[in-house]
Amino acid sequence: MKPIVEAKNLNAYFENFHAVKNVSLAVPEKSLVALIGPSGCGKSTFLRCLNRMHEEIPKARVEGEVLLGGSSIYDRKLDPVAVRRSIGMVFQKPNPFPGMSIFENVVVGLKLTGSRDRMDQVAEEALKGAALWEEVKDKLKKPGTSLSGGQQQRLCIARALAMKPPVLLMDEPTSALDPISTAKVEELMISLKKSVTLIVVTHNMQQAARVSDRTAFFLMGELVEYDESSTLFTVPKDAKTEQYITGRFG
Amino acid sequence: MNPADFQISIARRLKNRFVILLLIALACVALIPLIHVLHYVYAQGLPHWNLNFFTELPKPVGESGGGLGNAVVGSFFLVLVAAIVGVPVGILVGIFLSEYSRSALAGWVRTSIELLSGVPSIVLGIFAYSAIVVPIGHFSMLAGSFALAVILLPVVAKTTEEVLKLIPSHIREAGLALGIPRWKVTLRIVLIAARSGITTGVALALARVAGETAPLLFTALSSQHWPRSLLEPAASLPVQIYSFALAPFEEWNHLAWAAASVLVSLTLVTNLIMKWATRSRGESR
Ligand SMILES: Nc1ncnc2c1ncn2[C@@H]1O[C@H](COP(=O)(O)OP(=O)(O)O)[C@@H](O)[C@H]1O
Ligand SMILES: [Mg+2]
Repeated sequence: MKPIVEAKNLNAYFENFHAVKNVSLAVPEKSLVALIGPSGCGKSTFLRCLNRMHEEIPKARVEGEVLLGGSSIYDRKLDPVAVRRSIGMVFQKPNPFPGMSIFENVVVGLKLTGSRDRMDQVAEEALKGAALWEEVKDKLKKPGTSLSGGQQQRLCIARALAMKPPVLLMDEPTSALDPISTAKVEELMISLKKSVTLIVVTHNMQQAARVSDRTAFFLMGELVEYDESSTLFTVPKDAKTEQYITGRFG
Repeated sequence: MNPADFQISIARRLKNRFVILLLIALACVALIPLIHVLHYVYAQGLPHWNLNFFTELPKPVGESGGGLGNAVVGSFFLVLVAAIVGVPVGILVGIFLSEYSRSALAGWVRTSIELLSGVPSIVLGIFAYSAIVVPIGHFSMLAGSFALAVILLPVVAKTTEEVLKLIPSHIREAGLALGIPRWKVTLRIVLIAARSGITTGVALALARVAGETAPLLFTALSSQHWPRSLLEPAASLPVQIYSFALAPFEEWNHLAWAAASVLVSLTLVTNLIMKWATRSRGESR
């Protein structure tokens, strides 16, 4: 399958600290790749290199290459702000924008990037895509922050989907949610990958095994093993992967 | 539980009681001046509230009746013009301090703003006097508004900075990750998230400058007429209180008390509206 996102010899630094070390990884289109590994191993940092958010941190820098649909997102001629419009991101803590209604939260990306057409329709599609439409269709004017935690997280997913990105990055999207909301978001991830490529950081190996097609195991900034999830979780090739997935560290 | 533990807990409970009572007593002591001021001002001022107070000019000495309508309107426009200048600039400075706090310039600006807010208002009055009154050649409402704007600016800037800093950084990141340019994230997302806090801060600052007296003595001075132009002197409630309260005419003293109670009501009402507005927004979440 042809990769839609491809990192090549990617290195990420915080000032002098080398957080992501020479990672190369190709993500097949319309699949779900899980990034696992112990806390602090560089999963979030790697993810944030894929939509040029890493460079927002002062003194942080990136070396290497990231290709999106075959062309480099680190091309000097590109504006990082524009790059981010084609790669959505969902964060660990649900973070709908305070002071905005549910509807405004969904369309704010379109509105502020200058594509104001058919916003009602886009909002409905995005909310349906995030499996939230039925719950909120009668209260689109209510504040986004009035929803429950799980609904807020799906609202954030809708907000990202409204930009129609081919790729959606998620950084531990369920770790602040209760088990029922977590199950809903997991279901949603599985249905989303029919139309969007998902790259999901998770500290929950069961979750990775349940939802992902491929899994990447990170350790101390390095990519230790990357394989079909069914292979990685049953017959890992690296001893460190095996130790991690059998719960001997991390 | 053995008896020794029990004794300790009784002693501790007594001590606890005592401290709570002490705190309640101290809180009451702090309330006494407020209640006393309110009671006194309203007892003296309310009897003289009537429509004429708001619609008429002061009558010459010896005649009864009359009002301070010109001072009410004068104060309104003094504060309005000060707000038109001071609030947007203050908010922009606050945004700069909060969102670009790492730049070296922000450090300098922050220090200047802090110094400015520590300068006594009478000194700012003298500054407005030399900056505007002297070049123009006479006292004016413009000079008064300028002085009030200079007082307003650091208060609004500090409040804005503090309120913006309460907005978690992941809100900004979420905006940036949508591909929204940073300046739009700041103005259209972060500022919206902070709007109730900023509104409250601005309203309280306006209520405060409405009561400023000293800087107006050097700038807007006062007037017997309705305010007509920014370039003429203008009456204001605090300055009228100052001059009428000390005047040897009972009629004027009454007007001063009425003016004082109007000014206090303004502050109280602003406070209560803001408390109510921010609470109801909080609850709707
Ligand atoms: N803003 C930062 N400044 C400096 N170091 C950071 C910063 N953010 C993360 N790090 C460091 O980078 C490493 C990787 O962090 P991260 O990517 O957040 O790990 P993970 O998401 O796998 O838990 C950690 O050692 C962390 O301490
Ligand atoms: Mg992380």
